[in-house]
Amino acid sequence: MAPLLEVKDLTVRFYTQEGVVTAVDGLSYRIESGEKFGVVGESGAGKSVTALSVLRLIDSPGQIESGEILFKGEDLLEMSESEIRSIRGNEIAMIFQDAQTALNPVYSVGGQIAEAIEHHLDYTPEEARDRTIQLLDRVGIPEAEARFSDYPHEFSGGMQQRAIIAMALSCDPDLIVADEPTTALDVTIEAQILDELRELADEFDTAIQLITHDLGVIAEVCDRVMVMYAGKPVEKASVEELYYDPKHPYTVGLMSSIPRVGDGRDRLQTIPGTMPDLVELPSGCSFHPRCPFAEEQCTRTEPALTDVETGREATLDTEHAAACIEYTEGLSQGLTYSVEVDGPADDAVSQYVEGDSRE
Amino acid sequence: MRRIYESDAIHRDDDEAHVPNERRRNTTLQAMRSVPSSTLSDLLVPRRLRHRFVTVDVQTPEQEYAVGEPIPFAVTIRNRMPFPVSIPTVSPLLWEWTVDGNVEASEVPLRDPPEEAGSFAFDRGERKEFRKRWDQLVRVSDSEWTPAAPGTHTIGAAINTADAERTGLSAETTVEIVR
Repeated sequence: MAPLLEVKDLTVRFYTQEGVVTAVDGLSYRIESGEKFGVVGESGAGKSVTALSVLRLIDSPGQIESGEILFKGEDLLEMSESEIRSIRGNEIAMIFQDAQTALNPVYSVGGQIAEAIEHHLDYTPEEARDRTIQLLDRVGIPEAEARFSDYPHEFSGGMQQRAIIAMALSCDPDLIVADEPTTALDVTIEAQILDELRELADEFDTAIQLITHDLGVIAEVCDRVMVMYAGKPVEKASVEELYYDPKHPYTVGLMSSIPRVGDGRDRLQTIPGTMPDLVELPSGCSFHPRCPFAEEQCTRTEPALTDVETGREATLDTEHAAACIEYTEGLSQGLTYSVEVDGPADDAVSQYVEGDSRE
Repeated sequence: MRRIYESDAIHRDDDEAHVPNERRRNTTLQAMRSVPSSTLSDLLVPRRLRHRFVTVDVQTPEQEYAVGEPIPFAVTIRNRMPFPVSIPTVSPLLWEWTVDGNVEASEVPLRDPPEEAGSFAFDRGERKEFRKRWDQLVRVSDSEWTPAAPGTHTIGAAINTADAERTGLSAETTVEIVR
């Protein structure tokens, strides 16, 4: 069976006055039906551009320069505007980062959701209204019927985000692209929304491409993860492998910067420096200026995404791939980090208590 | 779909205080209406003359650099005229910098810009300065870089027009890499 979504060698560039921004460079990945695929990375890593490319929503001065986006075997980049419109919202839906901006302030929330249902599923206005009320109820909006004709400003931030989720689910899509759906929300609402998203995806067997910079969110929701840095994938693995056996120094850096309950350290470990300017990427491996393991050859050679087991160039079928010279030519000093897995939560609590008493 | 004007959010009433009313203006406007000067300039200034109004300059802070030391340089593009000017470019790529004739110090083509015309727009008297850095490495393949040899190297910049050199829309400077 053909995979649901297959992105091959996607390159997206923005032609700006300062120079050419290569936001996504040679990106390939695959999402199977019903799979929850995470994309993680810092701000400016190209995550959102990747998501927008899938829906062909890249606007000037951006250009999808090369690559293929195969959805159920058909190339979205070859489709006409009307063909892509019939897929957007219907078969591929998007949950945008900022719900308040995504909703139109002069139309009622219910009306906006019902419009998509009427358009894609040929429902009558009454049927669309009923289905919208059901959906609003499903995503946990109280008194959905009364709230149908409310305007976006009458909803709280969490409710707006739920309404956007309801909109994304309205046409039973096969794929939901969720671009940081919980970034603007507090942690309790975040947990609720992620639970809902996961439940709904399981219920409707919908695949999710979840974009976030929060590794905790990924661990909670996803099956497989792709870590992006400066427009390129640096590591692809299943969630378990990524967490217990990270292979790229950037992933290791991201992991060590997660605060933990019971951590005795005074300061949180960070990755020094910032993401490079995408107009002027460093030579060789883009991560080398920030990498504690970087050697001379890292500045001269750009590592390809490699199968960490075999050392061969990664394909779409590769289980665990990382883009580091260590897995091809090998670094003279090697990657000298170790991963420690803490015991059960009880230990963490006792450590926390001990940590307190030591101070 | 219910629209905002069908709701009670906007309600106009002469009897009720604090309700927005129709605005009446008794005075005539004194200021001159602004004109879209860039569009006017595009319509009125002949294309064949535009290159004369824009200058390009490349400068490095020093003339000599030690091996391996990154070389910063500034590209300044200025419209000398008191009216806006736009230069048509052959692609959306507006300008590029070169080292010894190689775009962004790469011996392999870096990108393939779409075949559609672009336009590099300048406001009146506008000066655009771009600061770049060459780390003394030359890209020899898609994934390999080698250090540049010591000696004299030319850093250039040009607006992406068909004949930038002939029309004076390019500039270059030389630097010396010493051991």
